[in-house]
Amino acid sequence: MRGAWLVAARELRADARHPDGFATAVTFVAALVLIESIVVGPQVARETTVAPALYWIALLFAAIVVTTRSFDRELADDAIDAVLALPGGRDALYAGKLIALAATIAAVGLVGGVLQIALLDLTLALPGHALVAVALGVIALPAVVIIDVALTLRLRGRAALVPVLAVPALLPQLVAATNALGLALSGDATGSLAWSGLLLAIALVYAVLGLTIAGTAIE
Amino acid sequence: MTTTALRGSSASWIRLSLGLASLAGALVASVMALVWAPPDANQGEVQRIMYVHVPSAWTAYLAFAIVFVASAGWLWTRRRIFDAIAVASAEIGVLFTGLALVAGSIWAKPTWGVWWTWEPRLITTAVMFVMYVGYLLLRSLSADVEGRATRAAVIGVVAVVNIPIVHLSVTWMNALHQLPTVLRPDGPAMDGRMLATLIVSVLAFTLICAWLMVARVALETSRQERVLDARGA
Repeated sequence: MRGAWLVAARELRADARHPDGFATAVTFVAALVLIESIVVGPQVARETTVAPALYWIALLFAAIVVTTRSFDRELADDAIDAVLALPGGRDALYAGKLIALAATIAAVGLVGGVLQIALLDLTLALPGHALVAVALGVIALPAVVIIDVALTLRLRGRAALVPVLAVPALLPQLVAATNALGLALSGDATGSLAWSGLLLAIALVYAVLGLTIAGTAIE
Repeated sequence: MTTTALRGSSASWIRLSLGLASLAGALVASVMALVWAPPDANQGEVQRIMYVHVPSAWTAYLAFAIVFVASAGWLWTRRRIFDAIAVASAEIGVLFTGLALVAGSIWAKPTWGVWWTWEPRLITTAVMFVMYVGYLLLRSLSADVEGRATRAAVIGVVAVVNIPIVHLSVTWMNALHQLPTVLRPDGPAMDGRMLATLIVSVLAFTLICAWLMVARVALETSRQERVLDARGA
């Protein structure tokens, strides 16, 4: 576990020094929030089923952006070999990146959420429940995307391949997260918590699965 | 099973036998489906698409289950035959999933009034299809033989979870798609001739799957050997 924390701390330090991945993801989410009301119309965009769905789709692609950027940084000067030499090796690399990227995506999600609330004039009936949904919902995103980015690390078609592999695998997470957040928006505390419970289960399953196959998936 | 086992004279004989058996099975199933089986009391003649749709879905499940076993076999033993079986099964699975989706759409138009509707069985099947297309894309974009096999095997092991999700989606969620009529706790709820036709169709499709599999595995092992020879040279 020490290796994982070392990787996570290193990852977060690198993000703080060069926050290009975070900045790109936030810009991407902001752009999507800005255009959604134009594309689907302001009334539809504000609906408690539509706004959370667009929010989570934006976060999914933001997760792909920050994870790809994170691995690109490792590849730039073969730093990945040094990281793999740390205690824990590939498992520590996976767990560390999972911790750091979940935190980064949560930060992107908070900025995107505030933007969406402000720009779409949303009323958040249960802010605490919404925060729980976002906190649990962001864990599964890097859990899957890290494996997909690792599998396609040195392939020329990576940019197209990662979404193709990640989106189908994350479908249960998108459904649960959209429902948890939508019900928090509309004021259904029990329903929101039930979906958040499912989000926790999904996050655990993906994280354990990711840890199990990380040794094989990361070259 | 060795790498060359499928390419000798006995392998040719197996391929020929499977090809003839597949042809015979397809002919018998076609006659039974088009002539012998009665039309459905409610749906009429359009229900006969079931004799293509259900066996296609079954064959896809079978192929993807083989992808899982072969992928685990590769990760465990690193024997190339497992990688050849995995890619052959994945291609066959994608082919039959596509066929099941198309046949289902043709049935849905006169029955439901639409080619496609957003209901759990259709969505989960489409997701399974996309996931295995991703598997094949992942393979096609990698030139390194060993690395490609390992990457693909990881996806092959993980993606198997789709099979129970697709199969059980109609019972887990309120769905427009009809519930199972054969694999039910209280036995099949279907006319005897329809059931017999369906079973024969499933057997015919399974034979076709086996025939395609043997042919494709032979092709893949031959390709693997060419690559290894080129590398050695």
